[in-house]
Amino acid sequence: MRQRSLIAITAALAAGALTLTACGSRDSGDKKGSDSGNGGGTTVVIGVDAPLTGDLSAMGLGIKNSADLAAKNANKQNLVKGVTFKIEALDDQAQPSAGQQNASKFVSEPEVLGVVGPLNSSVAESMQKVFDDAKLVQVSPANTGPGLTQGPDWQTKKVRGYKSYFRTATTDAIQGPFAAQYVFNTAKKKKVFVIDDKKTYGSGLAATFTEEFKKLGGKVVGTEHINPDAKDFSAVATKVKNSGAQVVYYGGEYPQAGPLSKQIKAAGAKIPLVGGDGIKDDTFMKLAGSEATGDLATSVGAPVEDLPSAKQFVADYKAAGYKEEYSAYGGYAYDSAWAVIEAVKKVADANGGKLPSDGRAKVTEAMQGVSFDGVTGKVSFDEFGDATNKQLTVYAVKNGAWVPVKSGTYTG
Amino acid sequence: MTGIGPLEPGEGTRAWDGPRAEGRRPAEGAPATPAARYTRDALYAAYARYARHRWIAFTLLAAIALLAGGGYLAATRPQQRPHSAHSPAPAPYPVQVVDVTYLDGRTTPAGAPPRSFSFAVLLSVTSGPPVTVTRVAQPYAGLSLTTEPSVPFQTKAGSARKVTITMHVTKCGKAPRNASLPFLDVTLRNTRAIQTQSFIPGPRYAEDLSGALEVACSNSFG
Repeated sequence: MRQRSLIAITAALAAGALTLTACGSRDSGDKKGSDSGNGGGTTVVIGVDAPLTGDLSAMGLGIKNSADLAAKNANKQNLVKGVTFKIEALDDQAQPSAGQQNASKFVSEPEVLGVVGPLNSSVAESMQKVFDDAKLVQVSPANTGPGLTQGPDWQTKKVRGYKSYFRTATTDAIQGPFAAQYVFNTAKKKKVFVIDDKKTYGSGLAATFTEEFKKLGGKVVGTEHINPDAKDFSAVATKVKNSGAQVVYYGGEYPQAGPLSKQIKAAGAKIPLVGGDGIKDDTFMKLAGSEATGDLATSVGAPVEDLPSAKQFVADYKAAGYKEEYSAYGGYAYDSAWAVIEAVKKVADANGGKLPSDGRAKVTEAMQGVSFDGVTGKVSFDEFGDATNKQLTVYAVKNGAWVPVKSGTYTG
Repeated sequence: MTGIGPLEPGEGTRAWDGPRAEGRRPAEGAPATPAARYTRDALYAAYARYARHRWIAFTLLAAIALLAGGGYLAATRPQQRPHSAHSPAPAPYPVQVVDVTYLDGRTTPAGAPPRSFSFAVLLSVTSGPPVTVTRVAQPYAGLSLTTEPSVPFQTKAGSARKVTITMHVTKCGKAPRNASLPFLDVTLRNTRAIQTQSFIPGPRYAEDLSGALEVACSNSFG
């Protein structure tokens, strides 16, 4: 009898110990995947694709860190009960082929329920189909090429190509004309020399700028394409000098825009270089030198520092101790990651607190209805997957820094 | 704590006592018996002692009054804790709470100059203190505009105001007829700031503006 009692007590203690052990491991993160089973202890991975090395890494690392901060804040708030978010960042080196490989890798990992990125529109083009086939949602904080959401013939007929693609940044369909309006009406420059880097982003932006500039009555006195791998632009600079242009518009990114600005001024054309969000990085000034004063850049969104909604983000980013600046797209990357988190939450809430086995498809579907007050303002998406919040800012180089000189809101 | 130290006579304090006491002596010719002289000397001494410490008493009283006053002010001052989670949030910037959307074309008011046309926009304020519109402008050199209501006008949070804009073509050559994204510059003021924002009302506004300019400039002038 006593022996039976001892066995019973031992069994009860063992069962209790096992129960406690199980409870303790619920949030260990060991169990991965989209099916949370009992609704607890699921790790959801948010993939991040951006250039983490190379010339554009200043922007890419800002994107990575900001997405990481969003995941940490969601975990701290226990926003989705039983779900721990973490990011997995892959380097695309601003190359479409690397981006496509990264997309395939994310698709192969079942615990990835959403991806933030990429930076470059050309890289996004190579990823879209891979993600769409797998119904894996992608939210870019930085792509501005209009065709990504509205199809290749967006100027005549808007057609959404991929339901899994969203972005929090405004498109070049607005950015280019906004720059043209500023250059023509406010800066009073009537003759422009247009240069681009032949890439999806650069050539697209240069085209939307040129079209509006001509409509306003401006004259294009010359056009050139540069090789993004080159550093010597002296031949182009001489052409600019001889053209009589009052301003240069450059469709491309800061690693080339900086030296280009410097060499144009060195050739004797003391005229401003204007570009889009791709040149709005502090590295531009380092490359362009002191004569960059007066150069201009448009950027999608309002200056994060001026947004009351961004104060907490700026403070949290600083407190988190990231080595790199959040850069031009930090606020948008945070909002992109948060959009994924909100979509996951919607799916879990609609499924009794658990993530269903077809989590990816459900998260992609939920993304269309996501709406929240983010770092950059109200975050939601229109029927094409574009951000409904369309703000733009013109920055000028003053005393070695980008200073906002005009801001606009698209309300159409 | 204040910066006032212990109130005790210092070395130099007494040096002033003698002459002061001397100066209080009775006038010449007063009676001077030994008893009277004794009493008088005692009174002189008491008075001199008071005179010697009078400034200390005044200083002490002033310090007490200062401390009491300071304490009262400190206790009754408004509770302001900068950077604290409980401090009230500042008013939002006006551009963050104002939206301007295009409605449609409107009948041009009677009395408007030739080559004028009108349209309406809806200006709404989502939150924060009331916002005053102090200026509405457009960027083209060949156009001028007026608004109804005329500026300045105020709109409260949670409400929207229909604004009719009448544009007048002054120089057709400087009024682009097919711009894709024309905008309106609106200067906004609230208790936080004065800001000018370019509102881009979108393709319908662009089309209507182009159409109106086409009509207004069909007999080109200027």
